[in-house]
Amino acid sequence: MTTLHFTEEQRDCLQELVNVAMGQASDKLARYLETMVHLQVPAIKLVDTQQLPEHFAKRYQQQSVSLISLGFFGDQGLRGETIMLYQLANVGVLAKLLGYSDDDSSEDEMLTDISSVLTTTFLNGLAEQLDNSFSYAAPRILSSRDEHFADKLAATAQQWQLALQVDIRYQLTDYSFHCDMILLIPGEAVLRLRQMLDQILADF
Amino acid sequence: MALTVLICDDSLLARNQLKKALPADFDASIVTATNGLEALAVLQSQEIGLVFLDLTMPELDGVGVLEAIKAQQLDCLVIVVSADIQPEMQKRVMELGALAFIQKPANADKLAAVLHKYGLI
Repeated sequence: MTTLHFTEEQRDCLQELVNVAMGQASDKLARYLETMVHLQVPAIKLVDTQQLPEHFAKRYQQQSVSLISLGFFGDQGLRGETIMLYQLANVGVLAKLLGYSDDDSSEDEMLTDISSVLTTTFLNGLAEQLDNSFSYAAPRILSSRDEHFADKLAATAQQWQLALQVDIRYQLTDYSFHCDMILLIPGEAVLRLRQMLDQILADF
Repeated sequence: MALTVLICDDSLLARNQLKKALPADFDASIVTATNGLEALAVLQSQEIGLVFLDLTMPELDGVGVLEAIKAQQLDCLVIVVSADIQPEMQKRVMELGALAFIQKPANADKLAAVLHKYGLI
């Protein structure tokens, strides 16, 4: 069991940084999809990585889910991995909207493209507010239309100590599109992140 | 007489960022609310000259507050301060009567320019 935790002030600070970064990512997604995105309060939660697979297996019971991963590396030891989880109920509509053909390889390509847009914009927004800068690894498909995706999530998550779970619900104007974002970060990066949040809080 | 200003945001950090970004010569008395419902309760119970309004909030969001202000004909100016920077959203809040839209995190120069433009400083 990890002893890493955030105080309420640190959590509020991180929630606001995430909110601003998500706003930038949503704007980018809206422009990409040429539609309006209804933005909801992004709920953030720090969880032990061992809890993640069960949590998401429950949330997406017997549904096909695709997982796309993107590694990031920042200054001062801030690094980690984002995982986007896509529920695939409305993916066909998205594919049509974006002009992708209706086959599995195009679906993977489309989700990889959307993940790149969302995660790099989000992480750039977060890095800027932390006075940091990130570089990125190429996106990886961890799981494609897989009902047993939790095993793949477990295999990746166990390499990290802590997960910042960010629940994102994108409601597009004419249809529903839902995905989740998880930030996986090692323990030393959580400590560094806490110091950065304390510096921001000290300014206000 | 100092203007009474309501800062409505669910984040303590955002409320503090905004307070700090206000110009030193801005003569105002500040009250705060942490969601749209609280903001409406404040607006209905006391005279508020200016509202700095976040959009993405629990209970009642900023768009809901703007709609209520319009429906109830509450007499106050509203400057939206939000991370939801989509052009469609900016257009929507202006159509609902917002005076200006400021992107989060609030920038002191931008804030001063908006307040100056509308004769508030």
